[in-house]
Formats: sequence, structure tokens, C-alpha cells
Amino acid sequence: MARYAMVTDLRKCVACQACTVACNAEWDVPAGYARTRVRTTPITGTFPHLASSIYVAQCNQCDRPPCVEACPSGATSQHDNGIVGVDKSLCIGCGFCLEACPYDARYINPATKKVDKCDFCVSRLERGAEPACVITCTAHAKYFGDLEDRQSDVFKMVYAHGARRLETSTIRVGPNVYYAGEHASTDLVLAAFPPRPPRLLAAGQAWSRVLRPLVLAAAGATFLGQAVAFFNQLRNGEKDFED
Amino acid sequence: MRTDAIPVDPLPLTAEQAESMLQRQVKKHHIAIILLHWFNAIVWFFELLTGLALISSPLFRVAPRWYISIVDGVFGTRANMLQFHVALGLLWIGVYLVYAIFGFRTYLSKEVIRNEIALDLDDYRWLVVRTRRILGLTREALPPQGIYNAGQKLFAFMVYAMIPLVMVTGVVMAFRLFGTQVVGWAVVLHFCAVGAVVCGLLVHVYMGAVFPEEKPAFFSMITGTVNELYAYRHHFKWWTVIKAEEQAWNQQHANEAVAPAETARPGSSSADREPGCPG
Repeated sequence: MARYAMVTDLRKCVACQACTVACNAEWDVPAGYARTRVRTTPITGTFPHLASSIYVAQCNQCDRPPCVEACPSGATSQHDNGIVGVDKSLCIGCGFCLEACPYDARYINPATKKVDKCDFCVSRLERGAEPACVITCTAHAKYFGDLEDRQSDVFKMVYAHGARRLETSTIRVGPNVYYAGEHASTDLVLAAFPPRPPRLLAAGQAWSRVLRPLVLAAAGATFLGQAVAFFNQLRNGEKDFED
Repeated sequence: MRTDAIPVDPLPLTAEQAESMLQRQVKKHHIAIILLHWFNAIVWFFELLTGLALISSPLFRVAPRWYISIVDGVFGTRANMLQFHVALGLLWIGVYLVYAIFGFRTYLSKEVIRNEIALDLDDYRWLVVRTRRILGLTREALPPQGIYNAGQKLFAFMVYAMIPLVMVTGVVMAFRLFGTQVVGWAVVLHFCAVGAVVCGLLVHVYMGAVFPEEKPAFFSMITGTVNELYAYRHHFKWWTVIKAEEQAWNQQHANEAVAPAETARPGSSSADREPGCPG
């Protein structure tokens, strides 16, 4: 099975937003929302030693995706090829996954009220095409391929040219979007847009920690009580109701 | 038919009396209620079956993974299962709305609320004695009950409170209304409300289908009738109501036999309601 990954070369990217436009067009992303967007980090340092970097944000198709666990209905799931997909017909729009994502890569589509995010253009992959952002990139800064294929561009970028995951020492969910470029640049990106700890909405916390155990205990206790009454009934023998 | 004074408290019956009461059926449930009950039962069976399988996250699920896989397999895809769950739920709400629109005058009259829904002093005593009897602390007789006993009333209260919650949260999820925060809480409330009903349902099903003393109640949900002895022993206060109605009916017909020209035709009198429908 494949392990799909994407590499963005920050040295080549010119922040032209062609990938954003291609993605929005491909997926009918409503205005004001995006599956991928190009951002720049704030300028640091003092003149003339200024530094800034471009950051192309999108879903990282993580190895250990917190969004999958947070999704109650199973609409978000991880495919065998590593892609984290959203089955729209199962999504109920509860927003648990939005809070879970350390990269804030998801949004709720206001028209459908269901969640949407980058899925490496999985329907294009199925017909043998590359993701829309990759083929549109004016600077050829984006690479897409199978990390398990040693001949692939992404394999070489990651294992020979040191493309980097955006991970911190505490948030390590195994993102599969890598960034090639100067270490200083990716450090700037990590400083400006660090992954945050996955969150669970108050509703989800109450459900998971309090209400699920409570309901299970109540139903279990009732069931046990019934079982005891039933065995007493069997032991004592059934009397007809009229005594 | 004798027009004896109706006893205020249940008296011991002779074997003959008991036998003749056992042979007589009295009407307990209207056909509309029987149909609604079994429709409701079927809906709850399938909604619980699919609802348990719909929660798949390890953080929230209550059903084991093998169960979820089986139900997924039966429906082909999880999306089909969700569609089925939602469609059946909407049908359920629709049927309840029809009953509510056509039935609320009958079932929410002051008389019905007082006689069939509200708890009276005997009900509170019944709850204490029933609990003590189950725990084996007493052999005391149960206080007389109306058409529904205090346990059934408590179950009904919980159902009245939870059913609207299940319906509203279900609709909120089905149509993703009011934004993610509301939908998120709707999922949780839906789960909890159903959990509460399931606890009551376990007792309801056990009492109805397994518990030997209440067997006539189970069959009354099929035939609509119970034998008079069961009514006398388990729902004495309701039995006195039936008796009073019967006597009034007999009285009226006796009068008609004496002076047929002077009395109104049968059916126009308020005393001529169907026995067992004191509403």
C-alpha cells in the first residue's frame, strides 16, 4: 500500500496563490474558506538582517490523526494509503474534528454545513491525475508521491534532501506534508504557525469522560437488577398472577 | 346484574367470584394506542440497533467494534445506515405529530391527567411498598392503583421528558441546525436522553414480557383487554371506575325498559362511554 505524501519546497514557492485558486476551483470551496492557503510569517530580525518565510497550509494527512478519534460518526477516517478522508454523507457537522486538528486545516462549509478539508485530491488520484495544487504550482514547488516508493520525488526530498515535518517536541502526530528549504525558514514557520494541542469540545469532554460512563453504569445496573429478579423468579417458580 | 355498592377497598374474593372475574374481559387499550405502541417498539428496536453502530469513535462508542462491523455490513455502507436511522426517526416524529394533533384533547384532558398521569398518595405508598417487597423487606399488600401503577407513571414521566429531547436533538443533527456548537451538544444530549429511556425500557420490557404477575398487561397490548380479576388485583381504583360505569349503564337501560319513550336513545348519555376509556 502506498503512503502518500506532499513536499512543498519553500525556496521555490513565490506565494502566487495559484494552488489556492486551483484548489478552490476544483472543490467549489466557498469564498472566505480554503482547503489550502499560502501565508507568510511575520518579518523578524533588524535591518538589514530581516527574515521571513512562506507557509503553505493544508491538511497534513497525519499518521496519528486526532480528528479521526474525535469524529463520533466515523465520517472522518484514515485510508490504507494514509490519506485522511471525510465521508460527507456521514458528517453531522458537530465540529469536534475542527477542534481536534492541531493545524486548523478544516472548515465547515456554510452551504452544506458539513466539514471539508484537503484530501490530496483523492478523486483525482483515483483517475491517475496529481492533486490540483501540484499541477498548477507555477514554480514547481510542490511534489506529490508515494513515500514507500524509493524512486519517487517525495522520497528523495524527504530522505535525501531533508524535507521536514512541521512538528514540535510536544505535538507529534506524524504529518505527511513536508517542507523543504533552509532550516531557518522552517523554524520561522514553526515559530509563527506552530501546531497546537488537539482539543476536545466541552460537549465531547462531558460525553467521553462523564456521560458515557454514567449511561453505561445506569444501563448496566438496571440490567443486573433485572437479571437478579429474573433468577429469583426462576428459583421461586412462577406463580399465576391470581395467586 | 346486581347493583351492589362498589367496595372502597379490595375485599377478599371467594373462589367462585375470582373464577367468574377471570373469565370476564374488560377493555384497557384503544386500538390506536395498541398500534402506536407496537409501531413505537419497532422504531425503537431499529433506531437503537443502528444508533449503537453509528457511534464509532473510540472516545464515545458504547458498542463493541465487532457489533459495529456487523451492522455496517448489513447496511453495506455507514452512510446507508445513517440515512435509514434519520428516515425512520423522521417517520417516527411524523406519526407522533399525527397522534398529538388528533389525540391531545382526549389524552390531555384534566380528567385523564388526574386519573391516569398524576401521582396520588396511594402511588407514593405503592412505590415504597413495591421497593420494599422487591428487596424482601415486607409482604405488605400493595396500595390500590389506577389504570396505570406508580411505576408505569414514573416511566411515562421520564419518557415524556426524554422523547421531545430525542426528537429535537435528532432533527438538529439531521439538518445540522444552529452551528457546530449546538450540533455538538445535540449529539451528546441525544445519547444521554436515549440512555435514560433505555434504562427505563429494560424495566418496561422485563415487567411486560417476563414478569409473571404482569402477563395480562402484556397481552392487553395485543388484544386491548385484560381479565377483570387482573384489573381488581392490580388496578383496583380503575376497576371501581369500570364498575361505576357499568352500573350507570345498566341503570339507564333498566330505566329504558320501564319507560322507553321518555329516555334518550343509548349513546347520547355521558354514562355510555366505552368502559376503560375514562376520558
